Amino acid sequence: MEKFSFKDVLVTFAGLFITSFIAWVLISATGNNPSEVAMYLYEGGFKGTRNIANSLYQATPLILTAVATLISFRVGMFNIGINGSMYVGALYAGWAGYKFTTLGHFTHVTVCILIGMAVGAAWMLLPALLRVYAGVSEIISTIILNFVAVLFVSYMANGPFRADPIAPSTARILETAELKQIFPNSQFNTGFFIAVFVAILAHFILNKTTFGYELRSGGDGLVGMYPSRFSSYLGIPSDRSAIIGMLISGALGGLAGAIEVLGAVRYFFQELEFNQGFDGILIGILGKLEPIGSIIASLFYGAIKNGGFYVDYKTDVSREIIIVLISVLIFFVSAQKMVKGLEKYPFIKKMDNFFSRKKM
Amino acid sequence: MSKDSIIHLKNITKEYPGVVANKNVDFQVNKGEIHALVGENGAGKSTLMKILYGIEQPTQGEIFINGEKQIISKVESAINLGIGMVHQEFTLVPSFTAPENIGLGQEPKNNQGLIDWKGLNKLVVDIAEKYGFKVDPGLKMIDASVGVQQRTEILKTLYRNANILILDEPTAVLTPQETDELFTVIRTLVDEGKTVIFITHKLREVMEIADRVTVMRAGEVQGVSEIKNTSISELASQMVGREVFLQVKKDEAKPGEEILNVEDLWVHDARGLLAVKGINLSINKGEIVGVAGVEGNGQSEFVEALTGLRKTSQGSIKYLGEDIASSSPKNIRRKKIAHIPEDRTNTGLNTQLSIWENLIGNSYFRRPLSTRGIFNLKKIAEHSNKLKEDFDIRAPNISLKVKSLSGGNQQKVVVARELSEDPVLTIASQPTRGVDIGNIEAIHEQLVQMRDEGGAVLLVSAELDEVMAVADRVAVMYEGQIVKWVNPKEVDQAQMGLYMAGIKE
Repeated sequence: MEKFSFKDVLVTFAGLFITSFIAWVLISATGNNPSEVAMYLYEGGFKGTRNIANSLYQATPLILTAVATLISFRVGMFNIGINGSMYVGALYAGWAGYKFTTLGHFTHVTVCILIGMAVGAAWMLLPALLRVYAGVSEIISTIILNFVAVLFVSYMANGPFRADPIAPSTARILETAELKQIFPNSQFNTGFFIAVFVAILAHFILNKTTFGYELRSGGDGLVGMYPSRFSSYLGIPSDRSAIIGMLISGALGGLAGAIEVLGAVRYFFQELEFNQGFDGILIGILGKLEPIGSIIASLFYGAIKNGGFYVDYKTDVSREIIIVLISVLIFFVSAQKMVKGLEKYPFIKKMDNFFSRKKM
Repeated sequence: MSKDSIIHLKNITKEYPGVVANKNVDFQVNKGEIHALVGENGAGKSTLMKILYGIEQPTQGEIFINGEKQIISKVESAINLGIGMVHQEFTLVPSFTAPENIGLGQEPKNNQGLIDWKGLNKLVVDIAEKYGFKVDPGLKMIDASVGVQQRTEILKTLYRNANILILDEPTAVLTPQETDELFTVIRTLVDEGKTVIFITHKLREVMEIADRVTVMRAGEVQGVSEIKNTSISELASQMVGREVFLQVKKDEAKPGEEILNVEDLWVHDARGLLAVKGINLSINKGEIVGVAGVEGNGQSEFVEALTGLRKTSQGSIKYLGEDIASSSPKNIRRKKIAHIPEDRTNTGLNTQLSIWENLIGNSYFRRPLSTRGIFNLKKIAEHSNKLKEDFDIRAPNISLKVKSLSGGNQQKVVVARELSEDPVLTIASQPTRGVDIGNIEAIHEQLVQMRDEGGAVLLVSAELDEVMAVADRVAVMYEGQIVKWVNPKEVDQAQMGLYMAGIKE
C-alpha cells in the first residue's frame, strides 16, 4: 500500500486552506459571520466532554464502513453497497434485540451483533457470487442492492416487524441488548471501542497474516483488479478471495448498522436514515485504504460532522452547507497532483524521507 | 564537424529530479546514413530521442538541424523540421485502415470540405510504391500483422514529409523474416535520401544494417564508431562497461532420468480454437529444452497447460510419473514446478505490492516465514533481502512497490522468487523480455546453474539467439505443433528462420 508521506500532510493543509476560503465566501454570501461559524464548528467538534463524545459517536459507524470499503477494495472488488448492509444489519440486530428475552446482557449483545453482521454479509453474497460466477459487475449490483435494502427494511418496519400502531417501527430493544452509553446527553456508546478494535484487527489480518496476504494478493490498491492473474498464477484462488472479501465487507457494514441500533437509536424505524456507507468510501480513500488511516480520517470527519450540527443549532447556517464544505475538502485533499513537483525543494525532500522511513 | 551533418545534439544534459538522464551528450548524425543508437535500458537513449522529437526539453545544450540552431519545444516543431518517429508501442487506431491511420490529422480535403478518401488512398499508395513497399488500403490495422503495422507507422512519418526517421527498437516485435523485410525498407529509404536513426540493443542487427553507431551508457556517450571499424564484442563491452559473454558459458548437458513427459497434448485457446495440436515432448533431469517459434504459435497455451493455468483437451502431462494435466496451479506449484511467466506485469507480479510481498508469493505459507498463518516479518525480511542480494535486485529497500522498479529489476524479482524454492522443473517463458544485456546474461547463467544442479528446465522464447545459446535441445513450434527438433550447435539462424516459418526442409 501507499504509505503516508509529507506530501499528504501538505495536501491536507492546502485543502483545508482552500476549503476555508470557499467556506468564508459561501457563509458571507448567505449573510452570516464566517469567524463565528468557524468558532462554533471548532467548539462543536472538539470542546467539552459532551461535544467530544458526540464527535466520537459520529465517527463510530464511519470507522466500520471505511474499513468495510477498504477491505473490498483491497481484494480488488468495488463494493459500494455497504450502506445496504448497514440497513439490513441494523434491522435484524434490532429485531434480535427484542426477540430474545431470556439471554444475559453479554450474550444478548453478542448475539445481536453477530446476527447483524451475518445479515450484512449475506446481503453481499449475491453480488459476490454474481461477479465471480456470472461476471456481473459488482459496482452495478451493489448500487442496486442499496435501493433494495432501503425498500426492504422499510417494508419490514411497516409490516412483519412493526410493533407500534402509530409509527412504522419495531419494538424497542431490551435492556440486555443495549450497548452502554457512557456520557449523559450523548449517544456515544461502547460500540466505539468495538469499531476501533475491529479496525486494528483488520490492520493485523491484512498486513501480518497469510490469510490477509492471500486476500489482497489479487488487488491491493487497484480497485477492480479481480480476477487477478497474479493470484491464480501463484495458486491462490482469487475467486475465493473476492467472495470472502465481499462477505467481510458486508459483515462490517452490518456491524455498523447493529451498533447504531443497539447503542444509539435502540429501535428500528422506517425513517431511520443512513449514509455512512457512502461516507465510508470517501473516508477509506482519504485514509489511503489503511485501517489505521481510516480511524484517523473517521475521527476527523466525525468531529467536523458534529461541529456542523452544532453550527446548525447555534446559527442560521444550515448543516447542509457544512456537508458541502466537507465534500469540497475531500475533493481537494484527494487532489494529489496539487503538490506535484514540490519534491525538488530540499526541505520537502527531507521531510518526505522522514515521513516515509521504512521498517524493512 | 563535417558539413553534411544533418543532426547535431550538442552538449545535451537532461536532469530529472534526482536523476541525470543525459550528461553532456554529443550526438551527431550525417545526412543519408543509418545511424544506430545502442545502450542498455535506462542508458538514456529514449530521453535523447524524446529531446530530439520535442517531447522533452533539455536542461542544457543545443540542437542543430542542417547546421541551424533550433529549439524544438513540441512534437509539431520536430515534424515541421522533417523529423519522424516510430515508437516501440505503435500509435495506430486498430479499427482504421492504413490510409485512415496515415492521414489522421492531415486529411486532404475535397471541394466540399470533406475528406478526399480517393486522393488519400492514392497518395498513400504512391508513397508506399516509391519506397518499395506494398499496402493494402482496405485492410484494418486490427487484422494486419505486426510487420504491416510497423510499415504503416513508417508511412505515417513519410506522409508528413519526414527526412529523418527515428525507429525505436523496431525489430523487438518482428520475426527474422520480417526483420529482413524491414532492413530492405530501411535501405530503400536511405537510397531515396532519407536519414535513419535506429535504436536497438541487438548488436547483431547493428552490425548488419548501420553505417555508424553511437553507444550510450548511464546517460553518457561511450563511443562513436564506423561499423567497419568495430565488432560486436567491442560494442557490447562499451554498452555494459565490462566484458560480456555473448555465448552462454556452459558444459555439455548430462541428462539424467525423465522428469516431464508430455504426450499428444491438445489445448484450446481463450477463443475456443485449437492452439496446441498434439505435442510430444520430454525433459530430463540436468538439461535445458528450448522451444523456439514466432509468438502466437501455441507456445503460451502450451506453457499455461503445463502450469495448470489452462485446461487441457486431450493427452497427458506426466511429471515424475504422475499425470498433472488439468491439475490446479496450486497443486502443480506444490510439486516444485517453478514458472517464470511471459507476462510479467499482470501475471508474474502484482506491481501494486511491495518487493518482499512479491518475493514470498511461493513461500509465504511455510515455516519460518509464517507460523500458523501469522507472518514472521523478521524472517521474511531476511529471506527477501537474501534474494535481493543473490539476484542483484537493484532497489533501495524491499518495501518499495514493484511498480517503481525498472523492467529488468522487475523480472529479477520474478526469477528470484521462482528459482528460490529449489524447483525440480523450471518452466521459463520469455524470461529475458525487456531485460537489458547485463541482466540477460545473469538470468541465463541462473538457468544454466539450475540445470547443472540437477534441475530440468523448459525455456520458451521468441528470441532465437536466446534459445540457441541456452538450450541443449530445441523444439521449433509452428501452428501448435512441433515441426522440428534441432541441436542448436548444428543449425544456423537462417535455417531456424525457415523452420519457424513452418517450412520443414
